[in-house]
Amino acid sequence: MAAGGREIMLQLEDVSLSYPSRRKSFDHGAHHVLDRVSLQVFEGETLGIIGRNGVGKSTTLRLMAGILAPTSGTVWQRPGKSASLLTIGLGFRPDLSGRDNATLAAMLQGATARQARGFLEEIKEFSELGDSFEEPVKTYSSGMLARLGFTTALKTHVDILLIDEVLSVGDALFREKAEAAMKSRISGDQTVVFVSHMEGQVREVCDRAICLYEGAVLAEGDPAAVLDAYREIR
Amino acid sequence: MTFLQYFRLVDTIARMDLRADAARKGLGYIWWVLEPLLFVLVFYVVFELIMQSGRGDFLGFLMCGKLTFIWFSKSVNQASNSIAANKGLIGRINVTKTLFPLAVIQEGLYRQAAVFLLLLGFLWVRGYPPGLAWFYLVPIMLVNYLMIVACSFVGACLVCVVRDFSMFIALAMTFLMFVSGVFWDARTLGDARTAELVLAFNPLAFIIDAYRQVLLHAAAPDWIHLAQIAVGSALLLLVMVLIMRRSSQFLALRALS
Repeated sequence: MAAGGREIMLQLEDVSLSYPSRRKSFDHGAHHVLDRVSLQVFEGETLGIIGRNGVGKSTTLRLMAGILAPTSGTVWQRPGKSASLLTIGLGFRPDLSGRDNATLAAMLQGATARQARGFLEEIKEFSELGDSFEEPVKTYSSGMLARLGFTTALKTHVDILLIDEVLSVGDALFREKAEAAMKSRISGDQTVVFVSHMEGQVREVCDRAICLYEGAVLAEGDPAAVLDAYREIR
Repeated sequence: MTFLQYFRLVDTIARMDLRADAARKGLGYIWWVLEPLLFVLVFYVVFELIMQSGRGDFLGFLMCGKLTFIWFSKSVNQASNSIAANKGLIGRINVTKTLFPLAVIQEGLYRQAAVFLLLLGFLWVRGYPPGLAWFYLVPIMLVNYLMIVACSFVGACLVCVVRDFSMFIALAMTFLMFVSGVFWDARTLGDARTAELVLAFNPLAFIIDAYRQVLLHAAAPDWIHLAQIAVGSALLLLVMVLIMRRSSQFLALRALS
């Protein structure tokens, strides 16, 4: 499959996702998160997904990463290509140290134990955690968690990078450093899908953008135009 | 992920959790053997000192039953909650859901190795010296392990889909403790027919009895019965692995919602 000379890496076609809920306010006990969403991700591009909280942005990334399956519709990924979701703040095991959590995250992404150990000093240094790297993450502040999460995520090498709000937290100094590292990562041939609340980031790093509204695609195309549409519903 | 990578990951998670658990407690790794011994002590006080079981060497008999039962009950109980408990990781990574119960089981395996050493040492001191019969323990332990993995996978799926199952599973473990001959001998039940039925239809009662036959009487287990339990557990395990592979994304949705 190709469009505009670029190969499609990932495609969602008429994808809907709902799950049963006990809350009666939902439709017959079902909570509809996405409703017939269709979109494509092309090789080498950075696609931004923007929308209000709870609109289905993270769910879209989870569908792309193969973590969830759609209730209806299809998710197609180019054969032989890997997609990985990078998020922070979730997934840490609180009783384990920063070092153990970083090792585990790397191994879960497919690294061997030796490769994972090879990343650790780099992660410790970039995250600026110092001796806290050896302490259980339950003792970390939210800023420290963000630093560990971002740095661990940065070390992952995959064909399609799915990034969920990784640049939205942490202290200002670290955010600046993280933004620079992330920009250098996505400026090359890397295919990236990028979820963010921050308009500035989307305008700056994305080639194309999509705005989700009430579980469906409201606008798609040039980031500036999509951000205009987002501002109207915000 | 290759099988070797998968197993290394299981083992890494298990060892990290053991280390973290030991660091949380003042007595650290001592709890590996102290906790089961305290259970044995409670049962000994109740059934020997208060109720006076009248059985010769009740302590050795009880340790064989309780220390092997705890391996099963604790592993299945904790592994059953493992998928639901790891929803943070499940929301980030598309990973086979067997990973989580298996890591818990692996953790239990390390603890149980220490408990088995303690049990064998204790029995030796009490006049049950090591012999060739102890080699019979290997197939019994393997079948016991298969049972634990198969039952844990069933439990982990049930709890992931409907959280309330964790209550039923905890209750089922208490029920199993009472009906599996942990503190009574299935072979000396008043009604021979009942004894036969308990050993025939409760695999856990058979396994506990098999441990006792080897350790206290140097007798081989009923190999045919053991093989039947092994085949049954292996089939259940195979079915569960297939179900968990096919419904990996469904389980993720249930864990996350």
